[in-house]
Amino acid sequence: MLTKVVLASCVVLWISSCAVNSAEDLMTRALRLMSETPLIDGHNDLPWQFRKQFNNELNKVDLHTLSTTHTNIPKIKEGRLSAQFWSAYVPCDTQYKDAVRQTLEQIDVVHRMCEKYPETFMFASSSKEIRDAFAMNKVASLIGVEGGHSIDSSLGTLRTMYQLGVRYLTLTHSCNTPWADNWLVDTGSEPSEHNGLSLFGKQLILEMNRLGMLIDLAHVTVTVMNQVLDMSQAPVIFSHSSAYGVCPHKRNVPDEVLKRVREKKGVVMVNFYNDYVTCSKTANLSDVADHFDYIKKVAGADIIGFVLVIPDVSKVPNLVVELLRRGWTDEEVKAALGNNLLRVFEGVERVRDNLKGLKPDDVPIAYEDVQNPCRTSYGYTDDAGAVRSVSALTLLLTLALQMLVH
Amino acid sequence: MLTKVVLASCVVLWISSCAVNSAEDLMTRALRLMSETPLIDGHNDLPWQFRKQFNNELNKVDLHTLSTTHTNIPKIKEGRLSAQFWSAYVPCDTQYKDAVRQTLEQIDVVHRMCEKYPETFMFASSSKEIRDAFAMNKVASLIGVEGGHSIDSSLGTLRTMYQLGVRYLTLTHSCNTPWADNWLVDTGSEPSEHNGLSLFGKQLILEMNRLGMLIDLAHVTVTVMNQVLDMSQAPVIFSHSSAYGVCPHKRNVPDEVLKRVVKKKGVVMVNFYNDYVTCSKTANLSDVADHFDYIKKVAGADIIGFGGDYDGVTRLPEGLEDVSKVPNLVVELLRRGWTDEEVKAALGNNLLRVFEGVERVRNEHTQLNSAHVSGYAGSTIRLIPLLYLYDKYEIQVSSG
Repeated sequence: MLTKVVLASCVVLWISSCAVNSAEDLMTRALRLMSETPLIDGHNDLPWQFRKQFNNELNKVDLHTLSTTHTNIPKIKEGRLSAQFWSAYVPCDTQYKDAVRQTLEQIDVVHRMCEKYPETFMFASSSKEIRDAFAMNKVASLIGVEGGHSIDSSLGTLRTMYQLGVRYLTLTHSCNTPWADNWLVDTGSEPSEHNGLSLFGKQLILEMNRLGMLIDLAHVTVTVMNQVLDMSQAPVIFSHSSAYGVCPHKRNVPDEVLKRVREKKGVVMVNFYNDYVTCSKTANLSDVADHFDYIKKVAGADIIGFVLVIPDVSKVPNLVVELLRRGWTDEEVKAALGNNLLRVFEGVERVRDNLKGLKPDDVPIAYEDVQNPCRTSYGYTDDAGAVRSVSALTLLLTLALQMLVH
Repeated sequence: MLTKVVLASCVVLWISSCAVNSAEDLMTRALRLMSETPLIDGHNDLPWQFRKQFNNELNKVDLHTLSTTHTNIPKIKEGRLSAQFWSAYVPCDTQYKDAVRQTLEQIDVVHRMCEKYPETFMFASSSKEIRDAFAMNKVASLIGVEGGHSIDSSLGTLRTMYQLGVRYLTLTHSCNTPWADNWLVDTGSEPSEHNGLSLFGKQLILEMNRLGMLIDLAHVTVTVMNQVLDMSQAPVIFSHSSAYGVCPHKRNVPDEVLKRVVKKKGVVMVNFYNDYVTCSKTANLSDVADHFDYIKKVAGADIIGFGGDYDGVTRLPEGLEDVSKVPNLVVELLRRGWTDEEVKAALGNNLLRVFEGVERVRNEHTQLNSAHVSGYAGSTIRLIPLLYLYDKYEIQVSSG
């Protein structure tokens, strides 16, 4: 009897030690993969926390010790984060008010963060710069503007933001713009205004292709997703959305769109927010991995990417371990870590290069689509200010000429 | 008798031919000087005309043949323009509305103009690039934002505009900002709100020094002029203002300020608008030259520049109706005895000196952390009672 107990204990110990060894192996393997391929995260709202907690007064922040956010420098290092699209986000109620100025400030705070911690961050605005930063063991820091309201229906504003280094625009946040419907329309809680994209919205897509600005379809309606997949010449991204087939939340991506993303060679970067992972207030790492597995099953591993925070950025290697444990190959993991996003980014840059001869789109949005008390109308005909006074002058001159003639 | 008549005619012909020759010599000399030193103009509102006439639809514009503006490409070439600060201007009634977005669009239209005519324009944002463009026979195209209302009291916005290539900010246009008084206050038609610059206004000056953004004092009150001359570590400009001593208009620069500009090694770029030249509706080229002479007399030729204000005003002097006519002004200065060096100083060397001075101050600051930069208007910390309805990524996830 004693022998059997001892034997049984040995077997149990041996099995658990194998398990421990396997877990260690998996973590070693995960960290190795993350040292070979950059982990590129599609969306992090630390800049918003800078505004919310510190009014963007970065001088009051020590990112080495900051403990009130999911992200700080030690956690970034532990999480092996190699590239980050920092979100330049401003809330929807700034629309028609000071959205543009606030967005510029969010763009500025990202630049200042990079200047303040140059040993950690390297500002980046191209696929090449992501690779360069990775080679230098720095976090490539890119910018995505989260919400079309930030450009105030202005292609000129889009272009200047591109010049400031912005490399994706999420077409809407959780509000309609004068040219695109947001995901809340799909929930039925808001009416559709544009049945997807308006004419100007479509102009915008083509201009983004011409510029080399990634089109981000997180937060839009399924109609917008499909319209963009119809017309975009470049691959597209979902910077932070998960699989509708696992959690039927309208912020998530339905199966037919996942397949279209694969055809377009785009990427869906899986969002870790509980409500989008389990459609409930709680979730765990395994639930997140279910989304990865599901998208891989429906559309393949080539369209998957990461968005972090579980509960903070330091824990990502654990997710990678889980994927390995579920049988993901090294190649599939590296695809999800960063190769997919790099492929998409290079595709967008290639389209931009091919479109080099194209002129910038300078047709403004129709005034009646954007009329509101905070918007002046200089330049539009039949509207306020100088144009009217020129017309009056013309009238006077015409009258004067007529008098001279007669 | 006949001999005397013939002799007299010969003398007259000879004298007039000398005069003609001298005039030709002066023009030849003017053009030579303009080929050796870039003509750098401080202020041109063509971008505003793009918006006003074409809603910034540049695809509808042919700058080779455009006839409804003071500025087009043939006129630029004839006028020997070598560098231009294009004005990114939006009217004062956009303040507290869409000033920022409209200013971005004006910045964008300048960039697009340069992309559209790359054989003529080269975008520039440094003294070196002005020289490079000149060497390549292109018009260095810089940007000045005309009016503090365009930055919506936001240092972050100032910094992003600097990143977009903007190299001067005119502190006000013709309206007060929440941090600076405009020239209308000096006319008595508006009350002072800040007695010059507020505390935030002074923060802005220091931040502009740190960034390397030229401070433009056209359109501000005399109090603001003096406060900036007190505190700026870098030289300053007046992008388009003339001499108060010739025409006592509140848009012009009084003598004591001219003398302070000399000490600061700044530059006053003379505005050609009739109302600021003769304080009346009409003027001629000679009246403009009077301003050049006056400033030279009061403060020296080292603080003078050209700031025509073409396409921003409707009344321009006889002889200077558009940008092609500027060499005639150079001829007049030479006729009045200006030396080659003095003319070249006014054409561009003074502005280049100022720009290099501003860049030097910026470089010295590069060591400084952006430590004293704050992102919010106001000298006190104001608690914003906003309720954020949601906290992004409030996650309770258990791992493993």
